[in-house]
Amino acid sequence: MPLTHRGREIVGRLPHDVAIGRGIGCEIVRHEELCVGCGTCAKNCPSGASRRGDTFDVNQLLSAPADSRRGALGAALQRIARHAPARVIAVPERVTVFRTIFYDEEECLGCGACARNCPVEAIEARPAVVPAAPAAESTS
Amino acid sequence: MSGARVEAPAAKPAGAKNSAAKPGAAKRGGKAVTPNTGERTIVAFCCSECAYAAADAAANARASLPPTVRLVLMPCTGRVSPLHLLSALADGADGAMVAGCLEGQCHYREGNFQAIDRVAFVQRLLESVGVEPERVRMFTMSAGDPPRFVAAVREMDRVIGSLPPLGRA
Repeated sequence: MPLTHRGREIVGRLPHDVAIGRGIGCEIVRHEELCVGCGTCAKNCPSGASRRGDTFDVNQLLSAPADSRRGALGAALQRIARHAPARVIAVPERVTVFRTIFYDEEECLGCGACARNCPVEAIEARPAVVPAAPAAESTS
Repeated sequence: MSGARVEAPAAKPAGAKNSAAKPGAAKRGGKAVTPNTGERTIVAFCCSECAYAAADAAANARASLPPTVRLVLMPCTGRVSPLHLLSALADGADGAMVAGCLEGQCHYREGNFQAIDRVAFVQRLLESVGVEPERVRMFTMSAGDPPRFVAAVREMDRVIGSLPPLGRA
């Protein structure tokens, strides 16, 4: 997917040597077990790397931590389940959470907009690992 | 979880308070989740603007409701989350119904539309683990229509009665 207007703006603000290629920013670490599937990251993503799906994998509920709301839902579902949930289900339009978020690492710019806007802090933006050599040059 | 949270505290203090005066009340308060005939329990999440008022009017008109239904007052059906419905089923109810306003007449504009979609989502969740999706249902009615509320509860009671019991792990 090409860059959006906002994505171009972000790239334009960066120093030229950093903006080359993909590694312009942070390393994005996603904690899938904390994600509630609201799609705020997809809404704020300038490059289209995060996408909010229309489906939901029921097994995500069962793997969520027990003290979260998703975990409570998964525990309740497991108590009444007759067999293991095998299917991916479609999510109705007005159900805003409970969606699988697709994340494409190739498209990601590492701007950290998703991490800043995530309501449950399921995304972490760590300092970039790639531009280590230019940083060493500038300090010497 | 929430279903039990709504019912259990209401049942326990009542049993404790009345135990000296009425022995029957203490017996009823002892069983927190299914205090009635032991057949089945249906939890009805009712919107305070319409369905609960309809239930009130039905009670004033002395219409008889099935003894299996438990009414839970909600400010709006938009407050009902999938966790409310699923935890009601997991904690002892055999069915859960959501009773809200007629479409387009929600006091908060679109709470009942959200409830309709959430109920559909829970139905799909139940279907994916092999449980009958009819255990969760959405009804819409207006405040001035008590017969419709009574009919909805009876319909739900009939459907749940025809289903095999829900096995719980």
